[in-house]
Amino acid sequence: MKPSIDKGSLALGTYVYAVLAFIVIPLVIVIPMSFGQNDYLEFPPKGFTLRWYAEYFSSRQWWSATSLSVEVAFLTAICASVIGTAATYAMVRGRGRLATLFQILLIGPIIVPHIALAVGLYLFFQTIGLSGTVPGFVLAHTVLALPFVVFTTTAALGKVDASLEAAAMSCGASRFSAFRLVTLPLILPNVVSGALFAFIISFDEPVVSFFLSGVRYKTLPRRMFEDIEQNLTPIIPAIATLLIVLSIVVLLGAHLMRSRTKN
Amino acid sequence: MAMNREQTAGASIRISRLEKRFGNVSAVDGVDIDISAGEFLALLGPSGSGKTTILMSLAGFEFPTAGNIVIGSEDLTYVPANKRNLGMVFQNYTLFPHMSILDNVAFPLKMRGVAKPERYARAEEALATVRLAGYGERFSSQLSGGQQQRVALARAIVYRPRVLLMDEPLSALDKNLREDMQLEIKRLHAELGITVIFVTHDQSEALTMADRVAVLKDGRIQQIGPSRELYERPANLFTAGFIGEMNFIGVTVESVGEAIAVSLPSGEHWNVPSTSAVDPLQAGQKAVLAVRPERLQIGGEGAAFAFHVKLADIVYAGSALLLIGHLPDGTEIRARLPGASDLSTLTPGATAVFSVPKEAILLYAGGAK
Ligand SMILES: Nc1ncnc2c1ncn2[C@@H]1O[C@H](COP(=O)(O)OP(=O)(O)OP(=O)(O)O)[C@@H](O)[C@H]1O
Ligand SMILES: [Mg+2]
Repeated sequence: MKPSIDKGSLALGTYVYAVLAFIVIPLVIVIPMSFGQNDYLEFPPKGFTLRWYAEYFSSRQWWSATSLSVEVAFLTAICASVIGTAATYAMVRGRGRLATLFQILLIGPIIVPHIALAVGLYLFFQTIGLSGTVPGFVLAHTVLALPFVVFTTTAALGKVDASLEAAAMSCGASRFSAFRLVTLPLILPNVVSGALFAFIISFDEPVVSFFLSGVRYKTLPRRMFEDIEQNLTPIIPAIATLLIVLSIVVLLGAHLMRSRTKN
Repeated sequence: MAMNREQTAGASIRISRLEKRFGNVSAVDGVDIDISAGEFLALLGPSGSGKTTILMSLAGFEFPTAGNIVIGSEDLTYVPANKRNLGMVFQNYTLFPHMSILDNVAFPLKMRGVAKPERYARAEEALATVRLAGYGERFSSQLSGGQQQRVALARAIVYRPRVLLMDEPLSALDKNLREDMQLEIKRLHAELGITVIFVTHDQSEALTMADRVAVLKDGRIQQIGPSRELYERPANLFTAGFIGEMNFIGVTVESVGEAIAVSLPSGEHWNVPSTSAVDPLQAGQKAVLAVRPERLQIGGEGAAFAFHVKLADIVYAGSALLLIGHLPDGTEIRARLPGASDLSTLTPGATAVFSVPKEAILLYAGGAK
C-alpha cells in the first residue's frame, strides 16, 4: 500500500497543476469578453461595461442557482471530508484484507466517466425520489469528491505514528478522543485541503448536476448551460470569471494547507 | 514530590495462566507471574518470545485468549486500555508533536478532568521529577532522544499510577544515555514506590535494573528470579546460554551417589558434588556440564576439577584476556582471565590445563547443543 500513497500524491499534484493551467489559458479569452458592451459574445470585445456582473448579482434566478450550488458544495465538502477521513483511517490503520478492495472502490469515481455515473445515479435517484433534491446532489457530489479527500489524507495519516494513539489511550483517552486530540490535529491541514477540493469539485460539477437538476432546483453550472442554449450573453463569461477567481483562491488555499503539514 | 503514600505505593500484579494466540501462533503460552507491590520486574527474552504481548495484555491493548490479570484487587483482564490507570512508556517516545511538553505531560490529567491550573502545576512537578523543569514550553522536536524519553516517563507517572509498564524504553538511545536513563528509572522507582514491569532484550539491562527477571522463550517462562540466582544457577540450558556467556561440555554420567561421577570428552573423570546437578540425573545418561568463562582458572594440573584444552586463540582485551580453545570432540571452550595473567608458556596450538572451583560447576540433563 505504501507506494500507492506516493503515486496518489503525485497524481493529485499533477491534477492540481493541470487544472491551474487549464484555468489560466481561458482567462485570456473569457475575462475580457465578460466586459463587452454588446449583448452577444464576441472576441475581442468592444467597449467596457460592468453591466453583466450587475445583471448576475441582481438576478433572482442566478442567485437561487448560486445559493443552491454553495449549499451543495458546502455540504459535500463536509460529507466528503468526514467520510473520506474515516475511510482513510480504516484503510491505513485497519488490519482488514478488504482494505485494498475498499480503496479501489473509493477512488473508482476518478476512473469511471462522469456521464456513466450520472446516468446511473439519475435512474437510481428517480426511483427513490432523491433526484433534484439537495441530499441527492450532495450524495452524488460526495461520491465524486471522495477520492480527492482520500488522496490528501492517506499520505498524511501514513506519517502519523500509530503508537501515538496507543499512548493517548494509555493516558486515559478513549479511542475516539485519542483520534480527535492526537491524530486529527496532526492531519487536519490535509483534511481541510481535501474539503476544499471537494467544495470546488462540487461547485463546478456540470455533468451529474445536469442529470439530477429538476425544474426548480438547478445548480449554477446547470443554469449556465441553460443560458448558453437560450441567450448566450456575456453574463456567462462574467460568471465564468467569478468561478475562475473562486477556484484559484480555493485551490491555492488547499495547496497552502497541504504544504503546511509537510513542515 | 509530596505525595500521599497510599496513592504512590505500587500495586501487586497477578498474571495467571495467561495465553494469547494469533491464529495458530501461540505468542504467550501459559504464563504465571506474581509481582509484589513496588517490585521492579524485567521481562527478558529473545525476539518473538512474547514479551510485548504480555505487556500489551497488561496494558489492555491485547486481550488474552485465556487466563487473567489481577492488578491490586481488581480483575483487569478485559478492561479497556484507557480505563486501567497504568502508566506506560513506549519504545519510540510517542510524545504528541503538536502539543508543548507541558501539555504532553498534562494530557493524562486532562483526560481525568483535572482543572487547568492544577493540571499544569502537577505537570511541572512531574517534569521536575525527571529533571526537566523549565522545558514545558518546548516541543518534542526540540528535545534530544533521552530528554524525550524522560518526558514520556513524566507523562506516564503524572497521574500517579500504581504500575508503570515499559516496552524497551531505552533501546532507541545510545549506550551512554541508556546507562543514565537506567539509573534515572531506578531512582524514580525507588522514589515513587511504584510497581515497574520493564521489557527488554538486553540482559545486562535486565540484570542491573530489576529486582527479579523473568526469562521468556516461545511464550513460556523459563525462569523467574533475582538476577544473581539467574546468573549463578540458571534453571535450564536455555537460561544458562541466554544469560551471560557459558561453556557447555557434553559429559557422560558414570554413577550417581554422594557425588556424581562424570567423564569429560577430554578424558578426565570428575566427582562433582550432587548440589551441582540442576536436573535429576541417572547413571549412564548424557548430561551437559556448564561453567562460566570467568570461573575457569589456568593451571591446576592434578586438581579435582581440571581438564585439558587445546588452545586456538588468545585475545588480549585490556582488562581481560580471552582464551579460546577446543576439546577433542570439538566443543569450544572460552576462558576469561585477568589481563595481567602470565601466559608466557601458552601459545595457540599448545595444550593448556584449566581448573574449575567446584561451586562453579552446573550439570543439566540432556545432550550438548
Ligand atoms: N498482532 C499480531 N498478529 C500475529 N502475530 C503476532 C502479533 N503480535 C505478535 N505476534 C507474534 O507473537 C509472538 C510474540 O510476539 P511479541 O511481539 O510479544 O514478541 P517480543 O518478545 O516482544 O519480541 P521483540 O523482542 O522482537 O519485540 C511472535 O511470534 C509474533 O510474531
Ligand atoms: Mg517486543
